[in-house]
Amino acid sequence: MLEYDSANRPPPVIDEFIQLIRYRDLIVLLVENILKNRYKRSVLGIFWMLLNPLLQTIVLTIAFGTMFKSSLPNYAVYILSGLLAWNFITQTAQYAMSTMAYGGGLLNRIYIPRATYIVAATGNGLINLVISISSLVIIIIFLGHPITWTWLFLPVSIGILTIFVLGFALLLSTAAVFFTDTVDIYQVFIQALFFLTPIMYPPSIFPAELHQLLLLNPFITLIDIFREPIYANQIPDAALIIKATLFSLITLLTGWIVFTKRADQLAYRL
Amino acid sequence: MDETVIKLDNVTVRFRIPHEKIPTFREYAIRWIKRRGVTFSHFNALDDVSFSIKKGQTVGIIGSNGAGKSTLLKVISRVIRPTEGRVFLKGRIAPLLELGAGFDYEMTGRENIFLNGAVLGFSKKNMADQIEQIVDFSGIKEFIDAPVRTYSSGMVARLGFAIATHIQPEVLIIDEILSVGDAEFQQKSTARILNYHKNGSTILIVSHNAPSIKQLCDHAIWLEHGSIKMQGDANEVVDHYSAYLHS
Repeated sequence: MLEYDSANRPPPVIDEFIQLIRYRDLIVLLVENILKNRYKRSVLGIFWMLLNPLLQTIVLTIAFGTMFKSSLPNYAVYILSGLLAWNFITQTAQYAMSTMAYGGGLLNRIYIPRATYIVAATGNGLINLVISISSLVIIIIFLGHPITWTWLFLPVSIGILTIFVLGFALLLSTAAVFFTDTVDIYQVFIQALFFLTPIMYPPSIFPAELHQLLLLNPFITLIDIFREPIYANQIPDAALIIKATLFSLITLLTGWIVFTKRADQLAYRL
Repeated sequence: MDETVIKLDNVTVRFRIPHEKIPTFREYAIRWIKRRGVTFSHFNALDDVSFSIKKGQTVGIIGSNGAGKSTLLKVISRVIRPTEGRVFLKGRIAPLLELGAGFDYEMTGRENIFLNGAVLGFSKKNMADQIEQIVDFSGIKEFIDAPVRTYSSGMVARLGFAIATHIQPEVLIIDEILSVGDAEFQQKSTARILNYHKNGSTILIVSHNAPSIKQLCDHAIWLEHGSIKMQGDANEVVDHYSAYLHS
């Protein structure tokens, strides 16, 4: 028989995890529903998920492709692989934040694990990423860019990215519940960061003395471990992998601790 | 039968009310720069509340607006944790959510049965076993595969009630929900609650409707300003409460 004693429960950091596992069916259902809802009422349905990145790439390639013709052959592959990783991170965080800040209505009516929506948002982002990779494959085949065994490294990259995204989303969602302007600040910040991260351009356009500074931007490592196996057909070097992994793990750990510590207050604030 | 399923010991729920609302980073930063702290006052939505409910009891909770009824339900359904005191629960608690909460209006009725079940902590398999009975009881079989946004509010209430009562939680919490739906459905749901009671389930009902508390409950708790003013036999408590209201 299920028992609950408010005076005697595991610490929130552990309790939240146990509860999420208990409510796993809810998380799966929520992910399914987000997917179904988004494409249910449109004629092209799931094809939008393929078309969106394709169209985006075509536009950006037409706009900037000639600029980097010599340094970045097959520019479309370069930009789309970078964009997919970028979109996975930023869109998931944004989605998690808005469901917590505006759609968390259920959380103050009934008990469900507080992180349910955030985990579901991450799951949804992950599915979007995997589906969008198919459009990347279409472009790669069309341009005759090589696909090599380095693709086998991608699951590792995606795993590291997912760890980061979950932590990032937890941190931002906590902030979003306590400060309603978090979403606005985030959008400005992310916009700026997009131009400071080599996604549309090669890192070489920065002068050498700025390179060290550039490496402080942790998003670069995350984009690189995803892009290198696809675009450069090489496994990222060990230093990069370690850096990305550590950064992601620290983010998740911080996010998890901050979120679970505040979780009890969420229902008061929502 | 003498088993305690809900027990509250000296439960206090304190809300912090900031004197100025500071919900944004910007305002917070400005304040921080000016080195002006935020001042709060405190408000006890529940103040030193203790009671216990035994298995099989049907308990009504009454009190005027702002007496702390909803806060009490939130503490029992684990939505908020008490600031002080202890809440002990045994078994699965299913709050019957207010109209349509927990439903995804774009999804069909059938999909929502699974969703609602999952929200209440039941597995997919568990729900699949019961779905036909739930659909039958809701009485909206022909619309069950249409999106919930096309439902009338009565239909949404029927579906919600059918789900919450079919999964057989050890404790069912009902908050003013019985006022929706047509006469036939109200009769049906009242019969169902009484039947539930016979099966030994515990029920908590919050209502302004004194006669229905008398009809359904054997025990009642009267809340006023966050504390218990009176508890005991339902008829007695409701009579005192009515007398208090009209004095």
